[in-house]
Amino acid sequence: MVEVSQHTLVPEHRLIDDDEIDALLAEYDISRTDLPKIKRTDPALPDEAATGDVVRIERDSRTTDRAVVHRLVIE
Amino acid sequence: MTEITNAIERTVEGTDLPKRLKDEVYESIEGRDVTDEQAVSIAEAVESRYLDTRVEPLDPVGTVSAQSIGEPGTQMTMNTFHYAGVAEIDVTQGLPRLIELVDARKTPDTPMMTVYLDDQHAENREKAHEVVWNIESTRILALGDVSTNVADMLVQVNLNEQTLDERMISAETVAEIIEDSLGVEVTQTGTTIEFGPAEPSYRRLLQLVEELREIVFKGIEEVSRVVIRKEDVDDGEEFILYTEGSAFGDVLDIEGVDASRTTCNNIHEVYRNLGVEAARETIIDETMNTLEEQGLGDVNIRHLMLVADIMTAEGTIESIGRHGISGNKNSVLARAAFEVTVNHLLDAAVHGEVDDLDGVTENVIVGKPIKLGTGDVNLRMGGATTDGSGRAD
Repeated sequence: MVEVSQHTLVPEHRLIDDDEIDALLAEYDISRTDLPKIKRTDPALPDEAATGDVVRIERDSRTTDRAVVHRLVIE
Repeated sequence: MTEITNAIERTVEGTDLPKRLKDEVYESIEGRDVTDEQAVSIAEAVESRYLDTRVEPLDPVGTVSAQSIGEPGTQMTMNTFHYAGVAEIDVTQGLPRLIELVDARKTPDTPMMTVYLDDQHAENREKAHEVVWNIESTRILALGDVSTNVADMLVQVNLNEQTLDERMISAETVAEIIEDSLGVEVTQTGTTIEFGPAEPSYRRLLQLVEELREIVFKGIEEVSRVVIRKEDVDDGEEFILYTEGSAFGDVLDIEGVDASRTTCNNIHEVYRNLGVEAARETIIDETMNTLEEQGLGDVNIRHLMLVADIMTAEGTIESIGRHGISGNKNSVLARAAFEVTVNHLLDAAVHGEVDDLDGVTENVIVGKPIKLGTGDVNLRMGGATTDGSGRAD
């Protein structure tokens, strides 16, 4: 099988720990389910990702240098 | 030609500009003859313009995006209009393609892939051709002539030796594949292959010929044609393959294919193989290319990014429209206002749905201020007391 993370279209996906999640949710004053979602079966997710985790995605942005977004792992 | 001095750098770095704009400021200063003071005021002017054009809190960005894509859309080619695009491969363009993208159709009208090759195969035409034969589907008519011998109840195939060599497939393999897929006894001598129905039957004989034509001997069934093009890249030239038809997952596994750059115009295939983030990138790229090809490249990419963000927010690809985003709105009134009003109202009544009037559309319908812009800001009058000792709320 091909290494999905090596593809130029796939940005870096990294799981973040609970402290980082809390800081993130506090910063935007939102709850976990307000985040955009990502399926647990998504090929780009790290293998150890479980439902309820949050991944930090660092995109090579078209408008700024790097764009950081977060997605909640579902199902 | 101006040198970037410390003073300039300090001003530029001190601004709120994103990195890309800072680089652009440096570039323009370097390209011109300006004094330090001028450079500083340039940087300040750029910053103030940047801050001015940023989106205000509570701006209805979705509406702005809809207008900004919709207006240029009126100038696009209305009817499906194919033309020989890159490498003489037909691609759907203009409005039909844009609609296809935002509707998130399962298969596009003209699926295609851009296949990049790895270092060993990219610079050598022979090697590139090897990859082509593993991708392009080879059917019997490409390998030789088929004739029916009604007297002996036989289908005769005369294979072309040259083509066999070129496509790297042997007559024996061809015979085996025919035997396996049609379930008939095949006799092969040299480049001639003969077979016929078990029981003499004219109908069955013709049927065999039809089935024979459908067999894929080599390559990927979905890909009907591959075009090789030599293109200039940063470090020299390389061969790039363009395919008519797509099977993204299969192609990535083929030897010689650079699985890190190869792309596909079917957003669902990208989603299945590379995930939702790659699908988002593809939606942006494809919509932007569609607009650019119609000379509408001045649409700001942020609008397309917003569309792609919304389409992929749930972790899957959702279409824009009543089967996707608009159909999943929480508010009954908002859904009813979009399309098929009566059905939505009826269903909502049957299920006893409640509308919280949180969104824009439903508040417009009931005549309340919407929660956007100044509509979502509460002003509280406060006045200092006359002696200035404190504030009264």
